[in-house]
Amino acid sequence: MLWKLAWRNLWRNRTRTWLSSLVIAIGLVAMIFMDTMMVGMNANMVKNATDSLMGHAQVHALGFRDEQDVKLTINDLEKTLLQLEKHPDLKARSMRIVTQSMLSSAGGGEPVLSLGIDPEEERLLSKFDEAIVEGKYLDSVSSQKIILGWKLADKLDLGLGDRLVLTAADAESGEMVQELFRLSGIFKTGEEQMDASMVLVGRKTLQTMLKLEGRVHQIALRYANLSQDGVPVNPPEKPELSSKNELLLWTELMPSLYMISQMTDLSMAIMGTILFLIIALGITNTLLMGLYERMFEFGVIKSIGTTPWQAARLMLYEAVCLGLISIIVGLIFAVFVTALFANYGIDYTGIEFSGVTFQEKIYPSYKWSRLVLYPFMSMGFTILAALYPAFKLWYMLPVEALRKRKF
Amino acid sequence: MSETVIVAHKLYKTFGEGETEIQALRNVDLEIKRGDFAAIVGPSGSGKTTLLNILCGLDNVSSGDIKVSGRSLQAMSGSELAQFRREHIGLVFQAYNLIPVLTVLENIEYVMLLQNVPVAERKDRVRKFLAELGLEGKENRFPAELSGGQQQRVAIARAMVSHPDIILADEPTANLDSETGGQLLEMMRKFNEELKMTFIFSTHDPQIMERAKRLITLTDGRIVTDELK
Repeated sequence: MLWKLAWRNLWRNRTRTWLSSLVIAIGLVAMIFMDTMMVGMNANMVKNATDSLMGHAQVHALGFRDEQDVKLTINDLEKTLLQLEKHPDLKARSMRIVTQSMLSSAGGGEPVLSLGIDPEEERLLSKFDEAIVEGKYLDSVSSQKIILGWKLADKLDLGLGDRLVLTAADAESGEMVQELFRLSGIFKTGEEQMDASMVLVGRKTLQTMLKLEGRVHQIALRYANLSQDGVPVNPPEKPELSSKNELLLWTELMPSLYMISQMTDLSMAIMGTILFLIIALGITNTLLMGLYERMFEFGVIKSIGTTPWQAARLMLYEAVCLGLISIIVGLIFAVFVTALFANYGIDYTGIEFSGVTFQEKIYPSYKWSRLVLYPFMSMGFTILAALYPAFKLWYMLPVEALRKRKF
Repeated sequence: MSETVIVAHKLYKTFGEGETEIQALRNVDLEIKRGDFAAIVGPSGSGKTTLLNILCGLDNVSSGDIKVSGRSLQAMSGSELAQFRREHIGLVFQAYNLIPVLTVLENIEYVMLLQNVPVAERKDRVRKFLAELGLEGKENRFPAELSGGQQQRVAIARAMVSHPDIILADEPTANLDSETGGQLLEMMRKFNEELKMTFIFSTHDPQIMERAKRLITLTDGRIVTDELK
């Protein structure tokens, strides 16, 4: 009976009820939409970072990442490869030579990061082949062709077919060695660092130049079956310490990016709490208005045997009913708005954030757990908003309330 | 000898403080026996409603003792008082005071629902009272769809349906025409005689004074006469 009474009481002032529920619903829509935006944005940033070069994980010799020592190649490469290829979700892998070097042309010289790659392996891992804006992508592991970023080309005033000399220390003696290349392609990834200071050449050519035949510095890995955060659902097994190799997921390779997604959750929680608190104050006001308007009626209800707890429950039930209506309305709107933007996307392309440039539109994306969490938060704060009016009703003396009769 | 259902001893009730202090009740001693059909009469401001509110535990006394159905009201908490009223006291107000969002049936059932009366018994009792009070066919109407007399009948049904020991009615006929008021009084008198239910009215209405078996006159918060007819 109390539920029935609460439900019907709610509809005594339809306009007020709809306005109150709209306030809660709009709060819910805002939270869900912001959250889906953040999830979409994070997914976009992670995808950009993992698709461009990093992959989902990388294997190096211990110490290579810190020292960038050309001699520190992956130990026991064949065994390591066998181990990695056992993973059922492995989609692609690319073995790379990575070295700091100097690129010289007729127009000057620039320090660069040189990557020796297998063009076919790399095609499945990064998007350099798609990023070519002039010329062609590499076609062989052993050619004398080189591709580089458009900013670097601009800086050195390079054109396709230009001769370039790469200078680096070899792995045996540490002597400086040089190799002549011809510029075959210019890429534009949108990543400042890659476009301005990275060159790609055939892996075998670079191995020969650095006296690293049969050895590599890095294996980049791409996996299928990722979580919504872009982390492999079945993480690859870490090599034993005795192997002197390390396998790091992108979350460890780029902790700042991973932190952003974690910070986003915290920011959303803080924002949600503030937003819902503001809404809760509005709801308290509405419920109090309802309470004062019906003071005499509550007096009657209490005087004919409704206990203070039952009267307080009546107020809480009204809040729960209001919350339920709001959640239904809010969820419908939220799903509609999110679906709309998920279809068309929001254009952030070219904007750099935390070292990652957005390459594609942001498409809001649901985390289903949040579609449960935020309605629960709405309901929780609506009930919280009803606590004060319920408390007033609990302590209201029936005889005082009966004196408030409106004639 | 009839059982005493209300014993009030040296009741005082004061409103306000200092210069604004009003003595609503002064030294009131009262005993009500089971089956009484009593009217508390007196001019406006004489303390009739205050006394009625105190007799059902809606208001506290400033001093004095009051026992209803053998239990001291002062010793009870708000929650206990609510439960006590639900079980032992039926209230009828001047302006009907039905719950506007509940139908006739639901208004009458309300107290029984709080008492957890089983559905079958609840329906049976409601049907009986609807028939007695001439409200058959109006079960699903809301109070706003009823006349004043019909609303007051529903209020009486709501007060009586849980079989309380005492019905307290504050000017129950004040908003009704004399014919409707007379009919309702006859009904209450019938319940009083048939079910031995105790009725206490606070009133100005000569019809009630005429039908009452006992007249308690209050003036300035004091009982000045208490006569059996």
